[in-house]
Amino acid sequence: MSLVWLKIAVLLYGIASLAVLPAVLYERPQWRYVALPAALLGLFFHSISLAQMLAAAHHLVPVEATEVQAVLALLLVMAFLLTAAVYRTLTMGVVLLPVATLLCLVPAFALGKSTLASPFLHSGWIWLHIALLLAAYAALILSLLASVLYLIQEKRLKSRSAKGPMGALPPLATTDAIVLKSLLFGLPCMTAGLLIGSLLAMQMYGASYFHDPKVLLSFVMWLAYVAMIAIRRSAGLRGRRAVFLSAFVFFVMLAVWSANQFSSVHQFAVER
Amino acid sequence: MSLILLGVNHTTAPVEVRERLAIPAGGLADATRSLLQHPGVREGLILSTCNRVEFVAEEDDANLPDLRKFLREYFSLQASAIEPHLYEFRERDAVRHLFRVASSLDSMVVGEPQILGQVKESYSVAREVGAVSKSLERLLQSAFTTAKKVRTETEIGSSSVSIASVAVDLAHRIFGSLQGRQVLLVGAGKMSLLAARHLMQQGATQILVANRTPERAQQLAAEFHGLAVPFADLQEHAPKADIIITSTGALGYVFTRAQAQAILHRRKGKPIFFIDIAVPRDVEPEANEVDGAFVYSIDDLQQVASSNMVQRSAEADAAEKIVSREVDRFQLRLQSLDAVPAIIEVREYGEQMRQAELERARGRLASLSAEQAAAVDALTKSLLNKFLHKPMQGMRDAARAGDGVALDTMRRVFSRGNEDSLRNDEEI
Repeated sequence: MSLVWLKIAVLLYGIASLAVLPAVLYERPQWRYVALPAALLGLFFHSISLAQMLAAAHHLVPVEATEVQAVLALLLVMAFLLTAAVYRTLTMGVVLLPVATLLCLVPAFALGKSTLASPFLHSGWIWLHIALLLAAYAALILSLLASVLYLIQEKRLKSRSAKGPMGALPPLATTDAIVLKSLLFGLPCMTAGLLIGSLLAMQMYGASYFHDPKVLLSFVMWLAYVAMIAIRRSAGLRGRRAVFLSAFVFFVMLAVWSANQFSSVHQFAVER
Repeated sequence: MSLILLGVNHTTAPVEVRERLAIPAGGLADATRSLLQHPGVREGLILSTCNRVEFVAEEDDANLPDLRKFLREYFSLQASAIEPHLYEFRERDAVRHLFRVASSLDSMVVGEPQILGQVKESYSVAREVGAVSKSLERLLQSAFTTAKKVRTETEIGSSSVSIASVAVDLAHRIFGSLQGRQVLLVGAGKMSLLAARHLMQQGATQILVANRTPERAQQLAAEFHGLAVPFADLQEHAPKADIIITSTGALGYVFTRAQAQAILHRRKGKPIFFIDIAVPRDVEPEANEVDGAFVYSIDDLQQVASSNMVQRSAEADAAEKIVSREVDRFQLRLQSLDAVPAIIEVREYGEQMRQAELERARGRLASLSAEQAAAVDALTKSLLNKFLHKPMQGMRDAARAGDGVALDTMRRVFSRGNEDSLRNDEEI
């Protein structure tokens, strides 16, 4: 991975992370003119570094945890810019930008030392599998964040304290729309990602693949994801309960992520 | 510039006095024309709103205008009727007052946005009748710039301070855009009608009206282009509404916690905003505990409005600093403009001298080619510019410092005034 470009991206994300604070917390909207260009420019350099990574490593797949982190960070910044463009709110950046900065920090200063274990994995399908699942994770993180913001704004409105820090939170309807749309975007990504992964693994490992803990947890996550959308749609779940449900799915997602350590089929990388 | 401002406002005059001085929009042009025809007035402007009537005049060089006399004559009033309520500002104080008025720092509700539009309207009328020329044009443009800076650099106008606008602001915080939102009006209090009007202006599309008197419901529905619903069916229609404004005279609750719960259930958890303007209250306070229900009583709205007012006062301090800075800047600009006629005089005199010397040397320069003649012309111009640079800078500095004696001395030394004084000396 080209560390110079990624370091520049980290610096720009750091600037954007700081600039959204006065814009959102202290109602100084002029700071958006620093935050948005910095995030956009950071995304540009981030994309260059990823492209160089693929070219230099001669593989399409982010095999190391640090590389996966960098891709997830890219998706989170994209999610932030998308919500800023569509809903005219920078509030998501208060969390998404620092998270993206932190996710990029390790990859920017630690060169990956692994390579692909199997030439079979030099396939475009495996890249699609990972990209779709990371997009689903990013959507889930965004929906959880928006649910928390909904809860905060709801509490503030109920307690009649609409001023002070965080006074510029987006309206409830906006955060609600972000929650639902990010979930609706994430579901097909997760479904397609899991299906592609399953088909590839069936080819390579056969039925034993389904005994893998990461695979089992991934299907639990998918079920929770579907259940969350179904409950939201049927019962109009919002506020506190929606946050609990999103948080549950998020923790399942973290479990899926950490299950890599115990997975026999997801050990793609070997030390160089 | 010699500026005078005379007027009354909500702090100096009761409404009985203000209404006698008020000039309707249709009569503003005639009144401004009359002001312009008053002896001593070179330029003039009248600002007449419900909270103030002010007369701004730029004095003629020859006469000093008596605006108090103009007021007495124009409104046919005795001096004793208005004199105790009048305030008068001159020069810098008048500039400062006008900047404060345009920036809404002198308004009854500090930070309200209408006053700037009213000042602009007065300016527009005064321009149309030819009452605004260079001086007032400069002053008013600076006043508009100052007001804009106050709006953009402070938060003075960012929060709502009236009950109706607070309600609209809260509705925005819940629903974002109010486009397509439904409003249910229960009862017909004056304040609730005002809130409903504000909501409609912000995009709320349909209004349902429920009233114990069906005729009144029909009448209000017609007024708002809405739909009257029977009061008995209120709970049936309530889930359709995103915003419910209540102001009935009922002694018990019109919406209890359980009813709010049922409404939210039928709305599948979609938020609902209860604006309860009734006293005694129409909505059980515990309804606010239901997920998705936001209940604001008249006291809650008043509390938000008061806290916004406190915030505005804090912002007003920052705004006052901007006004002071802009007044200083305006005065400096004005003073440096005072140097312009003197600078023009000096430059014209220098140019005449240059032309005269070239003419005198024409015979000796006759053998020069066209290129050489052009070089000599450029050389003399350059010499003149270099020679006059320092004196002109000095004149600008003297004007900025308000040192009229130094300015006049420099003007006389470097212009025809110098020649005249020399001639006078020779004659003596």
